[in-house]
Amino acid sequence: MHAMKTKLSSLTLTAGLAFCLFPVAPGVRAAAAGTDELPFPLIDRFENFQMKDGMPTHKAHCVLRASDGKLWVGTYDGVLVREDEKFRRIGVEDGLSHKMVLCMVEDPHTGDLWIGTMRGLNRYSAGRTTSYLQTTSGLPNNVIYGVDILGDTLWVATAAGLGALNLKTGEWSIFDQSNTVMHEPWVYAVAAAKDRIFVGVWGGGILEYELANKIFKEHRDPDRDFHFELMHDAGPISDITSWIAWEDGILWQATYFGMARYDGSRWRTWEEKKSPLISNFVNFICARGRVAWVGTDRGVSVTDADTWVNYRTNEKGEGIVEIARPGRPVETRTMSTKLVNDFVLGIWVDDHESWFATSDGLSHAYFAAPPKPAKVPDAK
Amino acid sequence: MRQMSVQKDLAKVTCFNCHLVSTARLPWAKSRPHHDAPAGLAVSPDGKKIYIALDDRDEVAEADIASRKVLRRAKVPGRPFGLALDAAGKSLFVTCRDGDRLAALDTQTLSETASAPVGMGPVAVAFCRTASGDRLVVANSMSDDISVLSVSPLQELGRPLAGRQPYAVAMTLDGTRAFVANRLVRLGPVLAGPASEITEIDPMTARAVRRESLDSAHLSEGVCAVPSRPWMLTSLVKVRNLVPITQVANGWVMSSGVAVTDIKTGAVIQMPLDEANNYFADPSGVVTDPAGRRAFIASGGGDVVTVVDLEKLAAWLEKADLATKREAVYDLSLSPEYVTARIPTGRNPKQLAISPDGGTLFVAERLADSILVLDARSLCVRGRIVLGDGGWNDPIRRGERVFTKAGYTFQNQFSCRSCHPDGHVDGLSYDFDTSGIGDNLLDNRSLMGVAGTEPFKWNGKNPSLEVQCGPRFARVLMRTDPIPPKDLRDLTTFIKSLPPARVARSADGKLTPAQERGKAVFFATMTPDRKEIPYERRCSTCHRPPLYSVRLSFDVGTGGVFDTPHLLGIATTAPYLHDGRAQTLEELWTTYNTNDMHGVSSYMNKIQLNDLIDFLKTL
Repeated sequence: MHAMKTKLSSLTLTAGLAFCLFPVAPGVRAAAAGTDELPFPLIDRFENFQMKDGMPTHKAHCVLRASDGKLWVGTYDGVLVREDEKFRRIGVEDGLSHKMVLCMVEDPHTGDLWIGTMRGLNRYSAGRTTSYLQTTSGLPNNVIYGVDILGDTLWVATAAGLGALNLKTGEWSIFDQSNTVMHEPWVYAVAAAKDRIFVGVWGGGILEYELANKIFKEHRDPDRDFHFELMHDAGPISDITSWIAWEDGILWQATYFGMARYDGSRWRTWEEKKSPLISNFVNFICARGRVAWVGTDRGVSVTDADTWVNYRTNEKGEGIVEIARPGRPVETRTMSTKLVNDFVLGIWVDDHESWFATSDGLSHAYFAAPPKPAKVPDAK
Repeated sequence: MRQMSVQKDLAKVTCFNCHLVSTARLPWAKSRPHHDAPAGLAVSPDGKKIYIALDDRDEVAEADIASRKVLRRAKVPGRPFGLALDAAGKSLFVTCRDGDRLAALDTQTLSETASAPVGMGPVAVAFCRTASGDRLVVANSMSDDISVLSVSPLQELGRPLAGRQPYAVAMTLDGTRAFVANRLVRLGPVLAGPASEITEIDPMTARAVRRESLDSAHLSEGVCAVPSRPWMLTSLVKVRNLVPITQVANGWVMSSGVAVTDIKTGAVIQMPLDEANNYFADPSGVVTDPAGRRAFIASGGGDVVTVVDLEKLAAWLEKADLATKREAVYDLSLSPEYVTARIPTGRNPKQLAISPDGGTLFVAERLADSILVLDARSLCVRGRIVLGDGGWNDPIRRGERVFTKAGYTFQNQFSCRSCHPDGHVDGLSYDFDTSGIGDNLLDNRSLMGVAGTEPFKWNGKNPSLEVQCGPRFARVLMRTDPIPPKDLRDLTTFIKSLPPARVARSADGKLTPAQERGKAVFFATMTPDRKEIPYERRCSTCHRPPLYSVRLSFDVGTGGVFDTPHLLGIATTAPYLHDGRAQTLEELWTTYNTNDMHGVSSYMNKIQLNDLIDFLKTL
């Protein structure tokens, strides 16, 4: 997997002129043209945290702000919680099953934090960590790439299938190649979507699981080719799904070959050379309303599928923001601050701020204008 | 059979070992007398009435305090156990332990007005007012969680995680926090030392906010707030399960204590309640007077209520340094500093209540079918509210009195019930090395559903409960004279009457698809690729229905030959294996069955293993 990342990122070093030429949805042009207003917040400045600021390690993998206001950061060496302007670390010595934290989700009912690591799943509840391993519980596999909660069920993306834990009965269910249409066992992401679950499978595209009917439906890259996008806007951009996110009826797919959007009936796909997408190498997407915050190896793209804003470092080492409104030239501004590192692995966003977990620290982004409603017209 | 089980003496093996066709003949399957055993208590705000949960009768009683007479009773199905009144005393909330619900009764009519499902095995409830409305907090003893409910309408708002077997709830006086005491220690490596938990809940948000650890302590059954001090008191049993059992006579293995929790900081100090050569076993309910000057703690095994002068206790804590406080609970000479009285009670005092004016203390004498009414200031007995006849003609009831009586053990240290709360397990492994040296850790086994599963002990050497509970119990555990023969007969009658532990099953009793698949795995004679599983390596060979045990000893690759435990209620008896090394059922096969000695499981994928475990949890 890592070899593939390296190879592909070197192939896509420049985005090219496609940025200025990308097609515009006519329905959105009028709304965006002639005004500086954007359909999502613009970042004004970044505040960065690295090891010198108390981070225990360079790499931050995921970040979320819990409903009680506490900020949680999953890192290469445990979980950090930010309290009173300081980071407190929770590690293996505190009961965490492994130091390398890959994903987190907050249970909206209990406020408990579910923490996925490279070796086991953990429930952090009011200071107590309870670990679930493949040997001590019904967990399918110890490598936990993604977690999400819908109702009373915790969904767990693992290296050997999808796990579902009934939080009231404690019963585990496993979905893998033996009992679903899943082609590969490596489940990289899971996203709860009201009445269904989307499952991102590394090499298997996306599965859609209808909870009421208990039916799995498969979404595969129609051209089955992960080097070239031969069939545009016809399905997932690649079967190599690295992450998925869902909110407000929109599913977003991250791959190392571009990204895709699915509104329940229509797919749209983007590659760096044919769109403003900052890089094909997409690690992570955070969905906020109908806007995607996209973490790549070369910075962050934010888009509602029509307007794009990219945050990255230019050749001079300066932080820049590139704004691509439909039908207008790209506007580039230099920022006084920049992302702590352009290799972005995790993002958390609300109406007031955003946080970025990167391979060399954590960035806190302050928005330029008062928060705007994230709702945008449906792109057609 | 000899070859298979490594059992040299087959003299006591009969056809029934393998061919018991029904459990209907077993004592626990037969009907038994029911009694008026008081469980939870609640005193009306005007101090005129007391409500009493009678779980064995499926009733709630209302009694007049002045006349000490029962006025009326109401049927409340589902084994009503814990009680709480709202602020006005108009609604009585009742946890139904076997009904997995919370019922609301109108105190005017004593009729049920509402009911809401909660977690499994709710045993305690507390009421409070919050800025978001009235709240109820319920301890669900069997699902290890806590239900937080709104009152109007009566519905569950959230179900945060508890410790293990939450059993008692109390609110802080301002209603901002609920403290939940848990009976069992958290699961963990046996040699790491046990620790149970006090769980703090925010009733407004229905979330757990803090967890205090009770190191080397468990079986907390009572908790209460102290007016005038930022304290929460929790009864506890200090347990030393990792020292050889000879310490019963040479020191102690169990002693009673009370945890003083600082509500603000969560800091916990454990204080002893026993005396150096006299113990007051099985502490349970705790209350304080409204001024917060005295606390009352019931000793279910010692038949006393211990009175603690909280001002003296505070004075001691004030002058002690941190190190002294940490070691305090081990110093049994300390209790005279603050224990000012021991009030004798009838058999098995459990729950306590105090009138709003602090003048009257009520003690539920569970195995005497009565409520002891005391003057809380003079500690003089005013009389009793008589609920039933005590069931003296019922050998099961008499046996339960023996089971819960600490007087049979050396210096009254503990009762049978101290290790087997409700006849079940305390979740610990004990060092049963009778020589006093070395390790011989043995997992505590449940007594529920034990009838018909002889022989007993992990080595399968005791042929009957009479031997197990008689001379063996005296020599190894009690360190005193054996239980007298008549009491022993009653005791074994009681133990045999205990049904298997209740487990979660679907309402219609049908197995889910996963459980059905697991059942097929359990009874499989062939692997999925059509290889025959050797007869002696099939689950159902040794764990044969209906008891799921053929009552012989086998070597399952865990370091010896051990008795085959029955599997009825197996979901509730963690940890597993003879020394408690497996914390979960999964570990039996993922970690401790590498050579297929404990059934052929190497062919199973994770889905099949999960299915098998889902099925086992229904037994």
